[in-house]
Amino acid sequence: MFDTTQATWAAFWIIGAFVLFFALIPLLQTLPPRGRYMLIAVFTFISGLFFAAEFFLPVNEEGKNILTDPFQRLQGSLQVITALSLGLGTYGLIRLHLRNAVQRRPQWGYSLVLLIAFVTMAFFSVWNTLAEKELLGVQRTPLLERAFTLLFDYTLIQLDATMFSLIAFYIFSAAYRAFRIRSIEASILMFTAMVVMIGIVPLGKFISDSMGLPTTLTDEMRTNPFMLENILYNLRLPQIANWILNALNAPVQRAIEFGIGIGALAMAIRLWLSLERGIN
Amino acid sequence: MEQRTLWSRMMSIDRRILYLILAVNIVASLMARVAIEPDVPPAVRNFYETIEALQPGDMVMVSSTWSAGTLAENQPQFEAVLRHLMRKRLRFTIISFSPPARDISHRLARRLTSEAGYVEGKDWAHFGYSPDIILAIKGMSEDIAQAIRQDVRRAPIQQLEVMQGIKSLKDYKLVVDITPSDTLTAWISYRPANLNIIYCPTSVMAAEAYTFLDSKQILGMITGAKGAYEYEQLLGIVGLGTRFINAIQFSHVLIITFILLGNFAMFMQRRTQA
Repeated sequence: MFDTTQATWAAFWIIGAFVLFFALIPLLQTLPPRGRYMLIAVFTFISGLFFAAEFFLPVNEEGKNILTDPFQRLQGSLQVITALSLGLGTYGLIRLHLRNAVQRRPQWGYSLVLLIAFVTMAFFSVWNTLAEKELLGVQRTPLLERAFTLLFDYTLIQLDATMFSLIAFYIFSAAYRAFRIRSIEASILMFTAMVVMIGIVPLGKFISDSMGLPTTLTDEMRTNPFMLENILYNLRLPQIANWILNALNAPVQRAIEFGIGIGALAMAIRLWLSLERGIN
Repeated sequence: MEQRTLWSRMMSIDRRILYLILAVNIVASLMARVAIEPDVPPAVRNFYETIEALQPGDMVMVSSTWSAGTLAENQPQFEAVLRHLMRKRLRFTIISFSPPARDISHRLARRLTSEAGYVEGKDWAHFGYSPDIILAIKGMSEDIAQAIRQDVRRAPIQQLEVMQGIKSLKDYKLVVDITPSDTLTAWISYRPANLNIIYCPTSVMAAEAYTFLDSKQILGMITGAKGAYEYEQLLGIVGLGTRFINAIQFSHVLIITFILLGNFAMFMQRRTQA
């Protein structure tokens, strides 16, 4: 059921956002660079302060503070901003490729393919969404079903998966050419990588079983770490791979994440206070 | 003109030959009927046991933020997880934090649930796409109907039969995060304290998650299609993970073999030159 009051309000907000957006651009253009910078800096600071305050202010028994509800409502605003940026991106893309095709610039054929693919996919996607949500009386038809399945399931998904899968071929080629043992560090790295690569797949278990290494850890083995069976059990490839991942990889990852966290905090403060040169 | 030795030729094999060898290896492995039993790691076993410990009717949130790019790794996980949830007769809702992920997960879930007799809206629901994960989690932790409002079919959340007795994320028992992106840290940071998390990353993302396994911030993890295979073994089903595992492990063997060959050629080349 389509709620007309809700739709009217939605239309009101969308038109309002567009008017505000398009009115702001010429207004910002009239300001001198210094004034423009100050305006953006003030807005950035107030927005950042709002998010920080919402996080740090004490909460009541329901887990809320004075900023919690406005914070929730911001989700809608973010959707508007995302949609607006998507619209801007689409406009830029169409404009560029339309110009390429009309003026027959070098490789204009690719632009034409892009435009045709874009319009076809957009048409059937919008049609499918309207039919799926039963909006504007649009019904699902066999043509829509066939066309959307062909475009989405059998074209878009497959192309996307193929593009990503190509990485495997590049990795294989790069590993063969570049992974050379030229130092002790490189040797350790290569040996560790090989143990993990084999240890984590079933082949690691198969090799360990074939070597006659113990397959289970008994209570007796647990209590006596220097027991031969215990030592042999820990030499199984899956056990070594798990040890590398848990005992070596995890602490290193933690250290890296701490470093990234501190760096991100410093960067966030610089952005919040508009000290970053990129926005000057 | 300098004569090229066997070793120097080996060190500069045309990349197209390498691509062909890998492609043949993958196709042959996918067709091979070799079945090697896995050594199920503790992280996968804990993942399985966390779902097994739930009671029929308990509510689970499936955070599905993956698209076709990582389909080979995330689809086996997604399918195996949904099959397990339905086998346990658990209720579940799905949410995505990217638009393509919404479409893919909804279409896949509709196919899988119809096979198991689950009805959309009654036994499960899809909350659609939410642009900001932090705001969505914080909002859902307070009031799902307020934060999400409608499911992907535009049905109001509070009218869905599956949502009976569920007001917020605090009423959920578990979150399953299936993703190649960094959504896990948001779930860990902003979820209600009583909500457990289990994780399905792609293979490249898994290394970062061991710190969270160590600290028990996630209770279990299945890593890529390889993890899905181990999980399928525990479930006793043949899914995509089982079909892909040979291609994965024999590709690992091929890569290792060629790295060793390359290094051997380099060693011999140096020796010849000396």
